[in-house]
Amino acid sequence: MAEFSLDVLLKGNSGKNTRGLLRIIILLTIAAAAVASRLFSVIRFESIIHEFDPWFNFRATKYLVQNGFYSFWDWFDDRTWHPLGRVTGGTLYPGLMVTSGVIYHILRFLTIPVDIRNVCVLLAPGFSGLTALAMYLLTREMSHSPSAGLLAAAFMGITPGYISRSVAGSYDNEAIAIFLLVFTFFLWIKAVKNGSIMWGALTALFYGYMVSAWGGYVFITNLIPLHVFVLLCMGRYSSRLYISYTTWYALGTLGSMQIPFVGFLPIRNSDHMSALGVFGLLQLVAFAEFVRAFLHGKQFQKLLTSMVLLTFGLGFTGLIILSVSGVIAPWSGRFYSLWDTGYAKIHIPIIASVSEHQPTAWPAFFFDLNFLIWLFPAGVFICFQNLKDEHVFVIIYAVLASYFAGVMVRLMLTLTPIVCVAAALAASTILDSFLVMSKPTPETQAKANADKSKAFSSTRNPVVGIYSYFSKAVVTGSLIIYLLMFVAHCTWVTSNAYSSPSVVLASRLPDGSQHIIDDYREAYYWLRQNTEDNAKIMSWWDYGYQIGGMADRPTLVDNNTWNNTHIATVGKAMSSREEVSYPILRQHDVDYVLVVFGGLLGYSGDDLNKFLWMVRIAEGIWPDEVKERDFFTARGEYRVDDGATPTMKNSLMYKMSYYNYNSLFPAGQAVDRVRGVRLPAESPTLNTLEEAFTSENWIIRIFKVKDLDNFGRDHSNAVAFDKGLKRKRATKKKGPRVLRTE
Amino acid sequence: MRWCLALLLFCFLAAVNALSSSGSRLLVVLDDSTEKSLYSTLWSDLEGRGYDLAFESPKSDSLSLFQHGERAYDHLLILPPKSKGLGPNLTPKNILDFLDKDGNIILALSGRASTSSAVSSLLLEVDIHLANDRSAVVVDHFNYDTVSAAEKHDVLLLNRPGPLRSDIKAFFDGEGVIALPRVAPQTLGNTSPLVSPILRAPETAYAYNPKEEMPSADDIEATGSQLSIVSAMQSRSSARFTILGSVEALEDQWFSATVKTVGGKKTPTANREFVKQLTAWTFKETGVLKVNNIEHHLATDGEIAAEDLNPKIYRIKNETFFSIEMSEYDYDKWVPFEVPAGDELQLEFTMLSPFHRLNLQPTGRTETGVIYSTQFVTPDQHGIFSFRVNYKRPFLTNVEEKHEVTVRHFAHDEYPRSWAISGGWVWIAGLWSVIAGFLAFVVVWLYSAPVADKNKKTQ
Repeated sequence: MAEFSLDVLLKGNSGKNTRGLLRIIILLTIAAAAVASRLFSVIRFESIIHEFDPWFNFRATKYLVQNGFYSFWDWFDDRTWHPLGRVTGGTLYPGLMVTSGVIYHILRFLTIPVDIRNVCVLLAPGFSGLTALAMYLLTREMSHSPSAGLLAAAFMGITPGYISRSVAGSYDNEAIAIFLLVFTFFLWIKAVKNGSIMWGALTALFYGYMVSAWGGYVFITNLIPLHVFVLLCMGRYSSRLYISYTTWYALGTLGSMQIPFVGFLPIRNSDHMSALGVFGLLQLVAFAEFVRAFLHGKQFQKLLTSMVLLTFGLGFTGLIILSVSGVIAPWSGRFYSLWDTGYAKIHIPIIASVSEHQPTAWPAFFFDLNFLIWLFPAGVFICFQNLKDEHVFVIIYAVLASYFAGVMVRLMLTLTPIVCVAAALAASTILDSFLVMSKPTPETQAKANADKSKAFSSTRNPVVGIYSYFSKAVVTGSLIIYLLMFVAHCTWVTSNAYSSPSVVLASRLPDGSQHIIDDYREAYYWLRQNTEDNAKIMSWWDYGYQIGGMADRPTLVDNNTWNNTHIATVGKAMSSREEVSYPILRQHDVDYVLVVFGGLLGYSGDDLNKFLWMVRIAEGIWPDEVKERDFFTARGEYRVDDGATPTMKNSLMYKMSYYNYNSLFPAGQAVDRVRGVRLPAESPTLNTLEEAFTSENWIIRIFKVKDLDNFGRDHSNAVAFDKGLKRKRATKKKGPRVLRTE
Repeated sequence: MRWCLALLLFCFLAAVNALSSSGSRLLVVLDDSTEKSLYSTLWSDLEGRGYDLAFESPKSDSLSLFQHGERAYDHLLILPPKSKGLGPNLTPKNILDFLDKDGNIILALSGRASTSSAVSSLLLEVDIHLANDRSAVVVDHFNYDTVSAAEKHDVLLLNRPGPLRSDIKAFFDGEGVIALPRVAPQTLGNTSPLVSPILRAPETAYAYNPKEEMPSADDIEATGSQLSIVSAMQSRSSARFTILGSVEALEDQWFSATVKTVGGKKTPTANREFVKQLTAWTFKETGVLKVNNIEHHLATDGEIAAEDLNPKIYRIKNETFFSIEMSEYDYDKWVPFEVPAGDELQLEFTMLSPFHRLNLQPTGRTETGVIYSTQFVTPDQHGIFSFRVNYKRPFLTNVEEKHEVTVRHFAHDEYPRSWAISGGWVWIAGLWSVIAGFLAFVVVWLYSAPVADKNKKTQ
């Protein structure tokens, strides 16, 4: 009876329905798992925005929700980049904020009272569920086997390479961009397959959404033309290709130009030229195809050669002329650094100083992708076996993304989707081959043998398969073990590596209990409560967004590093003597200076360890005044102890970091636990700044900039006078006396 | 408790009666009370102007400039003590703290005894220098009183000083000569913009220590008008610190003396009037500026609504109007402040450096103030700008006004529309012609169905 009912469910029309239902349930479960595995940080800590950039996105979202869309669009932010301000509405990708704003308003409309913060915190996990669904759709286009899609969705849902950017609280552009990336590619494949204007237009629509959400849209802008170009080179021109590409390009470019930050880049920037070029090429190929129908082979050959030569020559000279005359912007520095990993270090220290722009270490691939990384080549190989248009796409994507992921840590994110697709193709092939329970019946065998003699070789159907239960069990068993290990690995990585908010540091006490180090928030709330509403805070740019978001105070520079000179100014103020820094601080109306110091706790991400980047960036603008060499000893060491160079010891950053630090220790015993050195016995003296606040573990130190002396003295003289030191009468100067004139 | 109440009441009454713009509690530090009678005219003059005088000896334990961390007095008049130094309660640090809290001080020196090193180091802090040995006297063989100092030539007779510069208002001018017996000279440093001489020695004067040999030419620090007899330091917060070289000039005897210049005739001294000006200036009865009101808004023809006044945000290329109303305190009342001829009140519109520096023109008057205003176009640069009025002149309190405003970029709907730009007509024409052409093509295409001729290919 049971067998019978199972048969009803599994076979025939209702079997199809059952499988469909099952698939939906599985997909929903996968989405739920994807969301759930990203909630570690909320459960362990609290519902809080993480890291740096998300704080800005959060602040911008709050602005959007409070002031409405139009004032967000025209937002001039006077609380960052003081005194330059930032045309924020025109220099951000609004997709993320608008998405959460829309969600917020919908929930409000449904009378669900929800805090915008919670919408922001949970946006990334929510979209990761959608990414898993999009992944299913994309992979299904690649393979006949439905299990490939489900596997890809499961992989995408929990792979750490994607989780790293989408845990709860990681409210960054990537949170929605990866979903859009995958979904746009799905639509593109669909468009190419069907040659339909509708799918092409949908691709363009989601491409536009992607452009509004993440600067990484350039990846799509280049990958789709490359796909088309490769197909053309393979001689696979078809009207399907023509329709889908031209639809996508025309509508997508128009759509992308609606984002103020992008504006006219699609027609002026070299990064976008390949899409335009392929668009032109496609017209020519289409025209050639059209002409071919009317001409004889030889004439057509001649015409084609001359046309190709002519267009190539014209296009190339045109490109050069436009580039030289500056109509087309040269390649951006970030782009160069993709090809030459040493480029940024030499030319753009500000890019090189970001840790996520460093080249990837090899273990990171395994760490982020686990066993997918070795299934990945197998999946690509399977694509070669079955080389349709969409498989070409997978191969191109795989090659490009592998390269980019090797160059920059953060681009691991773009590699992850294609790894999931390829690995799922491989895994599903294995499972499909080894999990089929049925043995061929003798009849079919015989039939096959009989067919052999008659049919053409291409249509005959030999019975090839694995029929031994042992080999089936071994292979599927080991694959299942790998899958289980993958789940365990993902959970472990997510919980240990990617769920820390980095605003709050967690450590373990000797008894194993968790100890929260909350210095950042302590200091930011101190600023919020104890300083004037528009007190300007100077800090290194890393902390700009957090100060803006948590302390709600204007900053000089922040993580939106649009103005290198302004950052270099801050770097100069930090790395110069007090006498040089003070006028800079005055000129920029700085009220407080904030430094991060990890010496007491052994927190290695502190400002002294970043100090050389400040020096380098400042040196890029003022090579005569700030010199990196002066911060190294004669033997080339970077030291902060007694052997530090005078330039180092007199720099504002050094003084602020170690000011009064020795008071924590017995005389002469002060130790810096990050750099592991014993410090000079005497504290540095600060004349132009006074200590305003130091957090519990000394991670954040805030100094107030003194006003000019009331009696027109030097600050050093004023401090000396306050300490009770007698001033010496100015010794007689040589040369003629300067008379006072009124 | 009762004492406290009494003090409170006293302070309250004092505030009501005060004529100075900054309080009336005046502490006179003088050595012993017998000396007090030497200056009785001065005391009665000051009391007549509304000051509440308290007298303390520098040695007294009860002498304290501060109470509960606040100033206990508004003004301080320090006469040179006989003993060395000013005692433990009037250290240079205390005195600078007093100035820091906006108290005003007159410090009188005397050439009769050498000045203490504490005073010297105090003056050094504000860039005023005493002679090396601190006991020099100014001598002038051309401008001395032939009656009282026929031999020593150390009683100077000087005309009251005119304006320091042609563009500075004179606060100490007038008729008559001032007699300044035994002046301890000061020289003013070149570095500090806060010090300025009120009364300089004549060109023919020099500093001379009667107890010592004549120094060699190398050791002479200053002569002639480089020597200052009365000098002033006005701190950045406008606390005033006056150094009077000759304490004897305050005495009753010199208030009413008659003097005779070389080759002149006998005249009564103008010391009383000069000291009145001097104390009035130091204790902020004169030369005090006040900004009554600052307004800035978009320039419009009609009346400006209250909510449009002093906006926090402007746009680039906005026509902007700025006005400032200023008064000056004149002994007992606020009067309109007129900028002296040859000087200008200026407005800066600054971000990092000034984008505009404009002269403000007097455009209106109120009962107590003059309204200075100007109009300008905000620069084509967005950012956080500030309206700054930075008016710092010798003998006038410092005016340093800074009002931050944001200058934003054009909003997306503030640009001129495409059809309003004549250069864009070409593109608009192109756009519409393409649309029209496409529509026409579609219509033609739809209505020209191919002839149903199966033998021929359609073209």
